[in-house]
Amino acid sequence: MSLNVDRAGMAFTFKGGMLPMTVMELASADPEQIREQLSGKLSQSPAFFQHTPVVLSVEKLDEPHLALERICAVCRTHKLLPVAVRGGSDPVKQSAWALGLGWFPPSDGTRSRVLEEVPPTEPARGAEPEATIPTASGGRIYRGTVRSGQQISAPEGDLVVVGAVNAGAEVLAAGSIHVYGALRGRALAGIHGDIQAGIFCRELRAELLSVAGTYKRMEDIDPHLLGSSVQVTLSDAQLGITALD
Amino acid sequence: MAKIIVVTSGKGGVGKTTSAAAIATGLALRGNKTVVIDFDVGLRNLDLIMGCERRVVYDLVNVIQGEAGLNQALIRDKRVDNLHILPASQTRDKDALTAEGVEKILDTLDKDFDYILCDSPAGIERGAQLAMYYADEAVVVTNPEVSSVRDSDRILGLLASKTRRAERGEDPIKEHLLITRYNPARVTEGDMLNLEDIREILAIDLIGLIPESEAVLRASNQGVPVTHDDSSDAGQAYMDTVSRLLGEDVPLRFHEIQKKSLLSRVFGGGRR
Repeated sequence: MSLNVDRAGMAFTFKGGMLPMTVMELASADPEQIREQLSGKLSQSPAFFQHTPVVLSVEKLDEPHLALERICAVCRTHKLLPVAVRGGSDPVKQSAWALGLGWFPPSDGTRSRVLEEVPPTEPARGAEPEATIPTASGGRIYRGTVRSGQQISAPEGDLVVVGAVNAGAEVLAAGSIHVYGALRGRALAGIHGDIQAGIFCRELRAELLSVAGTYKRMEDIDPHLLGSSVQVTLSDAQLGITALD
Repeated sequence: MAKIIVVTSGKGGVGKTTSAAAIATGLALRGNKTVVIDFDVGLRNLDLIMGCERRVVYDLVNVIQGEAGLNQALIRDKRVDNLHILPASQTRDKDALTAEGVEKILDTLDKDFDYILCDSPAGIERGAQLAMYYADEAVVVTNPEVSSVRDSDRILGLLASKTRRAERGEDPIKEHLLITRYNPARVTEGDMLNLEDIREILAIDLIGLIPESEAVLRASNQGVPVTHDDSSDAGQAYMDTVSRLLGEDVPLRFHEIQKKSLLSRVFGGGRR
């Protein structure tokens, strides 16, 4: 049933996850200018600077080469812990790696506030779903009935459907799926591997339920739960369905 | 300004053409200038149901391709003055229909008629999409049966996305549910989906409920739209549907097993 390989006796397991992460978007590549601003901030809100992990976003900078090492040093002296760099040219990527930092591709650029998980570069293994980085912003609310043949997706966050999802329809989300109505079609949550995602609905009639690649077909669902209001979550690589009321 | 109403369903054999003919007849009987267009190119049926098959000379495709004028192709109904039929071609296929051609015809008819009914072919391909593309309202014909309900659901999705109103971001097409072949006794026995289940799944307004009736089959074979049979349950149900389309508030009938039916069966009188 499960696409995830998860066995006892292993030294570790890879898990997708979402952690809140501060993105420090650089508008200047000048370490001195950064130092000045950081000093000001540090005196204003010292509580924030507690070895806080940050992702340095250099997307807004148009410079092929950055004094990345010096910028990192400035951050560390102000108790910020750069863990990765986002965006930038190929040399920037190389120097990030050389400094032991992760590198993320540029975001779509429309969001000012992002939550990101920062795994080190993970080797893919077997049939495991790729440990991509789920971003938890950019959810979507759909009002109305999702009809047979329609596909509604929230590729970056949660999907909320205020209405029913009819048989033959498909709803997908990087995060959780909430259906305020009957869920008669297919629902796939955590499509990028977020195992914390869940599916919530007012009336369970689903053709297929999936969280992070682990799925259940309608005939695998306990018939007693059909028609009730439920939540579907992943625990120990098993899809659990529990009644909400 | 004519109102363009598409009669559609996705699934075949649920009663689209019967309903298009019956509703068009009803609208005309109520004094509206009405034309009903058969979009089922290659499987022409509307002319049979309307009883004008012997008077077809030119058809929809001839007009689109400029081989005949619209007035040459329009057939005046023998029974009702205000009613015209534009038949489909039986020898061509649906690729002969073009969006521009259909639009031109509808624009011309718009000036002379109050209602334009488009009888859609089954399926979700070109013919069905062209029949619905220019519509202002849609009558979605559904049988009390799961596959019909699912196909209607699919069509409703297309009505909300693949039509001119949707593409231009105008007010959405007004969608009406017409349930046909409803048999309250079989619903009670669990052989058929009940009215409430269908309404819940499709989540649109009910415009009419046509009971399963021998009168429908008889009407089809005689080429007389069932609306003319005003003593029949189906004829009355279609007339109710027409009244609701015209904005009147008419109570729903024929959805329950008639309480009197046992008595009337005992005494052998009355028809449901």
